[in-house]
This record gives sequence, C-alpha cells and structure tokens, in this order.
Amino acid sequence: MSAKSREPESLRSREGHPLIVESLQLSVIVSAHNSSATLSEVLAAIRSSDVPRDSYEVIVVDDASTDGSVAIAARYADTVVKLTGRQSGPAYARNRGVELTGAPVLAFVDADVVVRRETLPRMLQILNERPDIDAVSASHADTSGAQNFVSQYWNLLLRFGEQRHTSTSAQFAPGCGAVRRQAFIAAGMYDEWRFATACLENVELGERLLGTGRGVLLSSELSVTHLKRWDLLSVFREVWVRSRLLARSLGYSRMSAVAPSDVVFTLSRALTPAVALLATLMLAAAFVPAPHASAKVGAALLVLLLTNLPVHRFYASTRGFAFALLSAPLHTLVEIVAGVALCLGWILRDVFGDVSPDATTQAYAEVGHEIWPPVPRKL
Amino acid sequence: MSRAEVEVALVEDTYSTPTLMAVDAFQHSGVSSNDRFVSLTPNRQGQGGPRRTPRKSLIVVLPENHVVSPDLVAGRLRAQGDYEMDVILAYAGQSTSIAALQRQVRDLQVLEAPAGTSSEDLRELAMRQAPGDIVTLLCGTPV
Repeated sequence: MSAKSREPESLRSREGHPLIVESLQLSVIVSAHNSSATLSEVLAAIRSSDVPRDSYEVIVVDDASTDGSVAIAARYADTVVKLTGRQSGPAYARNRGVELTGAPVLAFVDADVVVRRETLPRMLQILNERPDIDAVSASHADTSGAQNFVSQYWNLLLRFGEQRHTSTSAQFAPGCGAVRRQAFIAAGMYDEWRFATACLENVELGERLLGTGRGVLLSSELSVTHLKRWDLLSVFREVWVRSRLLARSLGYSRMSAVAPSDVVFTLSRALTPAVALLATLMLAAAFVPAPHASAKVGAALLVLLLTNLPVHRFYASTRGFAFALLSAPLHTLVEIVAGVALCLGWILRDVFGDVSPDATTQAYAEVGHEIWPPVPRKL
Repeated sequence: MSRAEVEVALVEDTYSTPTLMAVDAFQHSGVSSNDRFVSLTPNRQGQGGPRRTPRKSLIVVLPENHVVSPDLVAGRLRAQGDYEMDVILAYAGQSTSIAALQRQVRDLQVLEAPAGTSSEDLRELAMRQAPGDIVTLLCGTPV
C-alpha cells in the first residue's frame, strides 16, 4: 500500500471529480438497493485499496433504497446518485454512474462484495499491461461473508463453476469487474432494458464485449468475498430467475458458449446426464422383475451422486465429507428448480418472445421524453 | 406499440419512476405531445412534477482545523455549466473558510457541528440536508 493511501481521509481527500482531477484513472461504481447491512464494509474496503486516492473516485448509485443506504454512502463516496421511485436494477443504476465519470477505467462492485486491497490495483495493472484485455473480473473467494450452510453451499457452487472454466471461459463475472470505458461504451453499456433485476446483466455484457472483438478475462487469481446471506428460499428464487431469464431472453446454447462457468450451466450440465441415465435405468427396469423399493431409491441416488461427482468432490475437498453429504440433497433440489425454470423459459420465449419492460416503461421510451431519472434505454 | 396504446399506458400510469406528467397535464401546460421535453424548469425541493435534468448538490466538508479554497468550490460550480447547484457547507468547531465561501457562493447553506465531529459524520449530516439527485462531496484540507 502506498504511503499516500495510508493517510487519514482528510489528508488525501482531494475528491476525485472527473472535471477537476486530471490524474483520475479509475471510477468505482457501486449500485446499492437497501444495502445498509453491507454497504459500509464494502465501501470501506474500496477506500482501503492500494490505489493512490487521487487516481480513483467512488460513485454510489442508490437505487431507491428505503433503509438509509444513502447516508452510509455519503460517509465514503465522492459522488452519490439518488434514484427515486421504484427499483430500476443494477444495470440501469450502473449506467447512470458511468454517465457521471470520464475515468478511462470503470470498476463495478456489488453492494455486498468486499474487495481485497490488491483487487482494484491488480485489475488496473492487468488492463495496463495487456492491451488485448478490455475487461477483467474477479471470482468468488473460498468463503462467503455469511457463515450459514446455505450461503457457504451457494458461494462454493459459484466458485466451482468459475474454477472449472477460468482457463476456457471469457466471462465478465458478477460481483467485481473492471472494464475500459471506451470498450464499455462501444459495447452499448449495460442492457437496462431487459435486465431490471440483478441477474445475468454482467454475463450478457461480457457477451457483447466479446462480440465487438474485445478481450474479456475472468481471473482465478483475483477473488472477492460476497457478504450476502442466502437461505433456501433466496437460493431457489435466484436459480429460478437466472435459469428462466437465461432461456427466455438470452438463449441457453448461445450463452453457454460464452459463459460456461455461470451457475445455470454448472447445474444443468449435471442434470442433463442424470436425467438421461435415470431414464435408461427405468427403461431397463421394464425388462426385469420389479426390484425392491429400496433398490429403486438406491439406484436413483447413485445416479445423482455419480452425475454430480465433480461438485461433491469439490465440496468434500474444500469443506469436508460431512459438508458434501449435507449439500447433496440441497444440490439435487436446486438442480430440479433450474431444470423446471429452463423449460419454462424456453416455453415463454416461444409463446411471448424476449423479455421487455412493462407497458408503461415502453410507452415512455417510445414517446421519448427526456426526464430525470431517465426512462430505461433500449440497446 | 401504437400511439393510442402509448397514451392509454401514460394515462393509466400508476408507476412512480420515472415521475412523469400524465398526458392531460402536459396538454394543459401548453407542451405538445410532440415536444421532446415535458418540463424545462428545474424544480425546487417540495415541488412535484417531472424534471428534465437532475438536481445537483455540492457538499463541502470541513472537519476541525480544515480549510477549503473558495476558488476550488467556485471551480466545481463553474464546471456544472448551466446546472443549478445547491451548496452545503458542513463544518465542525470553528472554520475560517465560511466568510470567504459565503462571498463566493450565493445561497450557501451552512451546517455547524460540535468540535471533534468526524468527517464521516459531517458527510452523513450534510447528506440528510442535500436535496440533489446527484450529490458531490468535497472535503477540505488540514490547516
């Protein structure tokens, strides 16, 4: 850490405004919605980064919070944007933050993600040293901020996918990523029209960056800690929304080539052979005398265990055998939710087409009024 | 979406963001539906209705024994161009910068906090008073 960034805030607080500070290299944009529980830790971690204070600014875009997130943001941020009304989603909020800055590199950090001191400087270094890379993102750390079982399970599942594919996947992962401003603008910024919730907007942006010939890197060397506490319901909801949105809006096969490390692919790839194997066994059972009920259960469990073996081995190696054993039924349930949601997404895509905002938003966009906060923009 | 559908959606709107004037409201205001902007006048706090541009605030934070150059503040204001900007000065203890700032900034809002109040607390205090949609925070330098 440089001596300068160790100084108390008052000594190093020549606040970074793009119009004033010419040395501004990085703009860290944090979108927050009712994030008072985690925002303080997140912003303090950003401010502790090993980057000279004059060379970066922190912009917090508050997405219609009602829990005092704005006051917390004010304690650490250089600029706070207050969006009013209903929640517009991180894609919309981050775009509003980008519009305020002229920094050549933009970093997007979720309001529940704690960066390490070296995360942001290392991202800057990668972008400086590798002109072929235009966007770099960090992967999940081994442990999540919340210590409950479901949070640990979910965090490790995301990490498993990232670790398995970091060498092959050029994905702009959620949580924490940096992108050259020029590339971000050229790609069309975040898709705020279709992604009104915090779901897959980074993956979709990564795809467009790649489509415009930009280099995207998901770094296994960089990791960040996610603080969000997950419970059964929130995990099922997340899997449901991601899978359905992916199938309906983006197209499973197209995205699987770009973002194989996303949790939907991690889940569905294991599910597909499991279903195939189970169907084969059931077919074979038709030609033999009916086995005992426990044999049927045993065969089904064996199939599930074998098809998810890489995941279970990963859990066992990182958290021990007991954790892997406990996570197995949860993982099966999560896979079933993902499978059903994918099917529903495909049906919805065929019947209704791509996702789009509600009729009111579409009406406002069509009329073309310029107002604040702006109507979500179409790519 | 047809023009009729657009107007139905606008009139039936129960949607709070973005806050827009209903069709009949801007007909009475003399702004035609072909006009690009609904309202050109930035609203003051407490006045409802749509705005074309965000309202901006600048918070100047001066913990104890800190000063700020009035020229720096003036520069920030000039950088905003035609935008109207509220300026709030939050300071702790005694500050020598107030008089000079008041000469530079018309309608300067001043918040005084007890000596020893931290920079973070001053920022939070001022933010609660800042009416802007976009709030920039500027901290002074130690004497």
